[in-house]
Amino acid sequence: MARFLGIFAVTLLVLFTLELLGPVQHGVIQPFTSGLASVSSALILPFDDGVVSSGRILRDAASGFAVSIESGCNGVEAAIVLIAGILAFPARWQYKASAIFLGFLAIQVMNIARIISLFYLGQWNNTIFEWTHLYFWPVLIMLDVLVVFAIYLRWLAARGEAASD
Amino acid sequence: MTEFGFRQQIITSLALIPVTFALWYAAGAPLAAPASWLAGQLMSSALDGIIVGSQQQETIWLIISAFGEDNGKIIYPSQTGENLAIEIDTRLVSYSVAFYAALLWGSRVSEPLFKFTVGLAILWLVMALSLIGVAAKDLMLLAGSQFLERPGVPSADVIALWYQFSVLLAPTLAPVMLWLWQLRGTPLWQLLSRQLEAASRSST
Repeated sequence: MARFLGIFAVTLLVLFTLELLGPVQHGVIQPFTSGLASVSSALILPFDDGVVSSGRILRDAASGFAVSIESGCNGVEAAIVLIAGILAFPARWQYKASAIFLGFLAIQVMNIARIISLFYLGQWNNTIFEWTHLYFWPVLIMLDVLVVFAIYLRWLAARGEAASD
Repeated sequence: MTEFGFRQQIITSLALIPVTFALWYAAGAPLAAPASWLAGQLMSSALDGIIVGSQQQETIWLIISAFGEDNGKIIYPSQTGENLAIEIDTRLVSYSVAFYAALLWGSRVSEPLFKFTVGLAILWLVMALSLIGVAAKDLMLLAGSQFLERPGVPSADVIALWYQFSVLLAPTLAPVMLWLWQLRGTPLWQLLSRQLEAASRSST
């Protein structure tokens, strides 16, 4: 357990620091965040043709309401926690790689749901927007990380039991 | 099956979130008060001469700095008797208590009240460190080099990292880590332990 916690903490700190470096922000994080805005817009457009995406901004053409997807709203920090947990736990590297890929997808699916919900909540009620943005969604995203990690452990355990039979 | 599984835990915690968040909203000021008091004490000790005082008004933590302003220019120390202050909404970090309560109260742990008290004390410490991170960032933006050049002030990069960690990760990660630690000995922990052992076997 101590080994797991040690590797987890160090990996978390290293990845979190890397994420904040200027070149990583400009070369990876910001383009990725813009991509999230585009994906969100593409998912909304079939149901609401009044939404426009420009860079990291999602805007409602009729009301002028816009949300800007900033660092911290792109699910990367949650993904870093998951990656640190997966890397810290002993398993084959191909299992770890698959878990990171699928876990990242699971977090981003949840995060796109967050972005879309906040886009509409903001047009409806600013207080509720603030609440869900600052408090409710971060908790749900962390629970998502917890669930994904638990599923990964369960999957690993099932393979272990099958192997020992 | 008598075991309280992980799925039930998550469902129970999700169901409890509206309750714990309502309680947290109602008791926002007293829940944050120990953390803001501790943060004020730590900041005053570490940054002697920069922090004149701090107090909590409702859920807002007010930090009065020694910086002043003269025709738009930040000066240290204030010459006019009017000190610049920053305001921080403690809810930005204190919602970790509501999340932690939902996780713990959704679990079948022994001595739940004792464990919650211990957990709350640890969270207050984490919240205090987080509030310091937010305050340091605000002071850096307010006074720039006047703040960064004072003795005992960390570099801008460290403050930026501390702030980001305090706001983006600590409020949700700390409750999870604390809850997992307090799960030891519970049926859910035994279940997770068996899975961990089996998972470890599969990797060897």
